[in-house]
Amino acid sequence: MSDKSAKKRAGLSNKERMALSFQEMSLLAPEERIQNFEEVPVGYSLEEAIAEAKRCIQCKKPDCVDGCPVGIDIPAFIKLIENGDMADAAKKIREKNFLPAACGRVCPQDKQCQAVCVVGKKKEPVGIGSLERYAADYERQHGTLELPEIPAATGKRIAIVGAGPAGLTCAYELRIRGHEVVVFEAFHRAGGVLVYGIPRFRLPMDIIDEDIEFLEKIGVQFVYNMIIGKILSLDDLLEQEGFDAVFVASGAGLPKMLDVPGVNANGVYSANEYLTRVYLMQADKFPEYSTPLYQGKKVAVIGAGNTAMDVLRTAKRLGAETTCYYRRSREEAPARTEELEHAEQEFLNWHWLANPVEFIVDENNFVKQIKCEKMELSDPDTSGRRKPLPTGKYFTEDVDTVILSLGCDVNPMIPATDKGVKTNKWGIIIVDEETCQTTKRGVFAGGDAITGGATVILAMGQAKTAAKAIDQYVLG
Amino acid sequence: MSKKINLIINKLKSEDEESISLALNETEQLTDITDDDKIALTSNLTQLFYQDHVGMSEMISLANRAEKQITRFGSVVIPFLIDELVNADAESCAHLGRVIAVNGANAIAPLLDTWNKKRSDQYALINLTQALAYFRTPEILQTLPEILVAADSSNYQLSSNVINATGKLVVRIDPNQFDEALRLQIFNISFSHLTDSHSLVRMQAARTLGKLMGKGLLTNTQKEDLRTAYSAILGKDDNHDWDDAYIVRREAKRYLPRLKTTPTSVTHYQQSFKIISKKELCPKTFHYVIEAPLIARKLQAGQFIMIRPHELSERIPLSICGWDSEKGHIEVVIMSAGKTSIQMNNLSVGDCFKDVVGPLGQRSHVRHYRGTCVVIGGGFGTGAIIPTARDLKALGSRVIGVVGARSKDLLILVDELKAVCDEVIVTTNDGSAGTQGFVTNALEQIIKDERRVSHVLAIGPVPMMQAVCELTRPIGIETMVSLNALMVDGTGMCGACRVSIDGETKFACFHGPDFDGHKVDFDQLTKRQKMFVAEEKQALETL
Repeated sequence: MSDKSAKKRAGLSNKERMALSFQEMSLLAPEERIQNFEEVPVGYSLEEAIAEAKRCIQCKKPDCVDGCPVGIDIPAFIKLIENGDMADAAKKIREKNFLPAACGRVCPQDKQCQAVCVVGKKKEPVGIGSLERYAADYERQHGTLELPEIPAATGKRIAIVGAGPAGLTCAYELRIRGHEVVVFEAFHRAGGVLVYGIPRFRLPMDIIDEDIEFLEKIGVQFVYNMIIGKILSLDDLLEQEGFDAVFVASGAGLPKMLDVPGVNANGVYSANEYLTRVYLMQADKFPEYSTPLYQGKKVAVIGAGNTAMDVLRTAKRLGAETTCYYRRSREEAPARTEELEHAEQEFLNWHWLANPVEFIVDENNFVKQIKCEKMELSDPDTSGRRKPLPTGKYFTEDVDTVILSLGCDVNPMIPATDKGVKTNKWGIIIVDEETCQTTKRGVFAGGDAITGGATVILAMGQAKTAAKAIDQYVLG
Repeated sequence: MSKKINLIINKLKSEDEESISLALNETEQLTDITDDDKIALTSNLTQLFYQDHVGMSEMISLANRAEKQITRFGSVVIPFLIDELVNADAESCAHLGRVIAVNGANAIAPLLDTWNKKRSDQYALINLTQALAYFRTPEILQTLPEILVAADSSNYQLSSNVINATGKLVVRIDPNQFDEALRLQIFNISFSHLTDSHSLVRMQAARTLGKLMGKGLLTNTQKEDLRTAYSAILGKDDNHDWDDAYIVRREAKRYLPRLKTTPTSVTHYQQSFKIISKKELCPKTFHYVIEAPLIARKLQAGQFIMIRPHELSERIPLSICGWDSEKGHIEVVIMSAGKTSIQMNNLSVGDCFKDVVGPLGQRSHVRHYRGTCVVIGGGFGTGAIIPTARDLKALGSRVIGVVGARSKDLLILVDELKAVCDEVIVTTNDGSAGTQGFVTNALEQIIKDERRVSHVLAIGPVPMMQAVCELTRPIGIETMVSLNALMVDGTGMCGACRVSIDGETKFACFHGPDFDGHKVDFDQLTKRQKMFVAEEKQALETL
């Protein structure tokens, strides 16, 4: 960038900035993308990124930073992009978030930073997520990522239970403080929900692998096939294995099922099972990969959250006619706007205000029909929320696969095997909010294990809090 | 002897510090000293070691200077020094020890020689051990096997001295010079003295073991033992009975935390999943012993594992039919049925499974029963009942095993089951072995013959388990079954293994695999097991 052009940009007034138009990220054409698992949003070009960065008015008191669970200095990294300092922009993000490529793609920015963006008051908010992704991808493609310097060993050892977003973040934060970190993962590979729960068309595997590799390079150690609670207890880790602290990030892996007739029919899956078969075990490549998937022609997906969108779009890519059933209306759908919109472009069917009451099976226990009650919404109650009310009217449709995407409860393995780790009545691990310390000394927890199912970025935020507290705990 | 030497010796003999200092100066100037003179000088210089240093601190420096001069004389004075050492008092022992040790390898043979000659003189041995501690040459380690024996002496001063000197060598000499046998000897001898009747010996033992650990000379098992021992000394174990000597506890307290935080290499957690042995039990059915030490350490009867034989495979659940936590082995039976089990049975001894996860599921329902327990194995389920049968028997129940198969050549693990049951009844459909009929016929007979049957466990094909439950339901005999539902992860996160228990959905992998057989919806289970029949066929074709 020449000095001259830089000056000119610096001279841009807020009014001029506000007048610039939003850079829509290009997507693969729906007809094309439902044939494969390619990433759908193609990412900004250099020009688009700079043009979008110019829309940021660089607020003196930026609300977006407060809106970010890990507190990324958003105006600063956007400024760097505007100036063409892409590598520095990525570096800036990494000060707070070591998974920028993943978060740029899967964060619900419309409920975080972009929701409070001042530009958004009058126009489309600044595409913070897309810019984050741009900087992160630039860093990956140009190899500008520098390994952080690890301070001298503190002699303290920390065990991390679970290699998902919270576990990986905590591992990173503790490693760069000079501690020895061992991550214990139940599966045969790291990534947690990033691998088994988020489709490849939203988050390519390369990105996850690079982040894991990065952690390995800075000396984080991974052990697979280890179910903490079974093969080693928390006490084993603390007493026998010589760990000074444990961070439990075992996630929310216990799928909620419906209590309706036919829920255990053949062809009825939890979203977890369906996505795990496809993305962790690669059942989409069956029979080359041996994990089977009973993939029917007509797939019903129950629920309308982000995971439901992922399931719908996955089933579509596997060649099924796919329908979403949700007991509230589109307005109440918990999925983030972008996910819902992307799904809507992909030739899916939508049954809003439809509450499944039975899965009708054939003589071999295979699901053949879904029976739903039509719902209507109440007037907003005192909380302002509109409740779905039964109407007594039903409809039945033919389906041969049902996937329940109703969220998850907390993985019960750790609380079930260590009575010192207390949970609330929903099975959520109780922690001190300031420190993420559980009711057991030396044991901290974060991520979905303490929220019962939230987002990647929130898990990361908690992991950072916990890392700080663990650092103080082991050195104190 | 020259006049010059004589003059020096006279000065050394004086009680006057200045003269002694002068004599030392002159000694320093000497060159070309004859061997005799060296010995004469040494015998006088060593006298300086015996001075009472209390209140005469300058004497210490004189003694140190004398040490330096003796050192110059080389190995010719060693025999004299050793003679001197065996009778020396405690103070001079250190000086003499140092001047001997400086000679390194040259001093070892005479030292060992004297050791052998003076075996009955414990005072001499104590002094000799003192010298030992000052050596820095690795050759000294050759004497240790011999000398360590004296640690078991009834003289506690000698015992503690030997252990102490050994500890000093551990610190001084390159850890690589300690061979495996020596490490083991030091560990064992020191460890056995942690419970010596004399606190001084216990303290030295605790300290030397700590030093061994600090230098990385202990195996993981030894570390484990030491950790337990230190915890006991500190009263941190179940007995809460600490060592009554503060000096012993102090050592334990110093080293225990270091033992705890000794970085365990991450390889410690990596299991090879190597096939140690493979045995054909009957056509298409093999018994495997697999290396999985961490799993073996925690397994309990009734639990299962998930295996993924190679990179492209699915994960499949397998019952455990035995394990050896000492050797770190687990045992499974695999019957070729689908693509994955056939691929597994194509592996040979020495091959490794890609991933094995476990132990999974809950422990079998076991307690002491007053009445008879019947464990029933159908087909390759026979392996899975063995661990639970063993537990039931160990708790004092009478256990009868029943094994069923279509014919004689399909019977497996009957002898292994016999080893853990009071009695085993074999049934075959065609009568080719045991009694002809089904396991239910045998169970009926047992119920008739036994005074009372309190508990039944059935593991095998669903129709067999179902038939057993139908038999016991009307007469109200508690009956457990192990459900082999389809699974993906085996940890409770996918729900593929959903089963209906008394109308309630449970996950076989997490809540089971054992359930009350009278509450199981077998019809649903049977149908759910057939969910992927078409896909399984398709997969088989790719083999």
